[in-house]
Amino acid sequence: MTSDPKYKHETITQYLLGALPEAETERLDELSFTDDEFTDSLTAVEKDLVDSFVHGELTGGELERFKAHYLASPVRRERVAFAQAFQVLGERESAGLRAEGPANVATKRGWFAALSTFLAPRPAFQWGLAAAALAVLLGGGWLAVDNLRLRQQMSQTAARRDALIQREQDLQKEIESQRVTNSQAEQELARVRDERERLEQELKKAQQGGAKPASGEGSIVSLILAPPLRGAGQVPTLSIRPGTSQVAAQLQLEAADYAAYRVALIEPAGNQSLWRSGNLKPGRNRKIVSVSFPARLLKSQNYSLRVSGVAAGGASEIVGDYPFKVVK
Amino acid sequence: MLYAARVKSQLVKIMSDSPVQRLSPKKEWTLAPAAFRRLLQWLDGGADSDGQKYLEMRQRLLAYFDRKNCSAPDELADETLNRVARRLEEEGAIESETPARYCYIVARFVFLEHLREAQKATAVLDEIRRQRHGNDSTAAVVDDDKEKMLDCLERCASKLEPVNRELITRYYVGKERVKIENRRRLAESLGITINALAIRACRVRDTLEACVRQCANEAK
Repeated sequence: MTSDPKYKHETITQYLLGALPEAETERLDELSFTDDEFTDSLTAVEKDLVDSFVHGELTGGELERFKAHYLASPVRRERVAFAQAFQVLGERESAGLRAEGPANVATKRGWFAALSTFLAPRPAFQWGLAAAALAVLLGGGWLAVDNLRLRQQMSQTAARRDALIQREQDLQKEIESQRVTNSQAEQELARVRDERERLEQELKKAQQGGAKPASGEGSIVSLILAPPLRGAGQVPTLSIRPGTSQVAAQLQLEAADYAAYRVALIEPAGNQSLWRSGNLKPGRNRKIVSVSFPARLLKSQNYSLRVSGVAAGGASEIVGDYPFKVVK
Repeated sequence: MLYAARVKSQLVKIMSDSPVQRLSPKKEWTLAPAAFRRLLQWLDGGADSDGQKYLEMRQRLLAYFDRKNCSAPDELADETLNRVARRLEEEGAIESETPARYCYIVARFVFLEHLREAQKATAVLDEIRRQRHGNDSTAAVVDDDKEKMLDCLERCASKLEPVNRELITRYYVGKERVKIENRRRLAESLGITINALAIRACRVRDTLEACVRQCANEAK
């Protein structure tokens, strides 16, 4: 930052982080009053330090000190907030500048310099220039009109192109977001299947180990229900063998809007609730709710599991009905 | 002239907001207009800066107390200037030190006194709460505030002269080595040294930051 070895960037950084020995701190304290050059360096280094924090470049002890010492002041927290906003603006601006071309400042200065040189007074050329100007004026009028028309066309085309680029970027983001969501759901589904298989294996072992109830009594049947589709769709079927004691259902949610859910087993014919769960926490990615209920409640007919989200205040709201068909 | 008027209005505001103006129960001394004028003259060192030197010194004091993590840098900065003005009034002149160094010496005493006072139980508790609040506040601002700040920043940045806007965009872009290289190239293209470029960029950013602060306060 500064070429003067008295004011090393690193030393000033340590000073700002409160990491220098007391004597050195006091020396720099004094310089911050008495030496304008030091004050300028201090200001510049502080901005770089804050930017480094915002860009995630600080690590280890420096990061700890920044959080513990630098962020202790509300004024400096405001600076960090400003730097965060400034970073966003900078990214937008630099994207714009890249589109314009690299040597913009120099080019602009160069154009202005060339123009002022050309316009310097030179009497020998004045009459010639006047005649040339008249000719240019006549031809220029038509050219200007045509040029204006072309510019308008170009501007409209550019605006259309920008809108399309924006739309393309939005769509790409949407696709990416969808891809991530799908991937998470697939992982959750795989995890649930693994868990179900593991439980079935355990159950099988337990049954083989002598505690096997007569005719498979005590076994669990599991069911995975996808978010209910709007319109007609195929209703999943649950086969219940004699002796099945529990139904374990995994309900995939469309959105993870609530921290807790309740599930009720509904008999659609009479819209009657046969069983209700307590508050259930959703699974790891908050988009699966697991519930189990007694199999004896079910007959060979259609049912649905009604899922309600529980808000922070305790009020619940129906999230969806998950229909399924039971075959015994 | 416009600038001088702005500085004067800032001084009037500082004088009216200043706790120095109020009676301090401990010190029983107020900064009267005559004493304030004497302070301005002494800080100017003979040349009339129209209060500019006073504002600069107050800014340095604020920054000093803020770097020391004092809870009320404003009050301590005014207390320092109050003491300097009082000494000037009592002794007519301070010739042993330059104004900047003398102000630093007084500020250091004010800071040490503040530390001692902070050792009292209540102050310590407040300080701990404040420090803890600071440590917990790495996120700096909530999203809503960030949005407001970004709006303000865009508004303020649009008021900058294009050349200054471009300058800070280019100066602060990039990370680590890329940033250093950007700055070197920018300094070359403008035909100035890296130091001069740093000072120029800092001043533009300070202007921008002050504008954003004002805009954000107005939005609250």
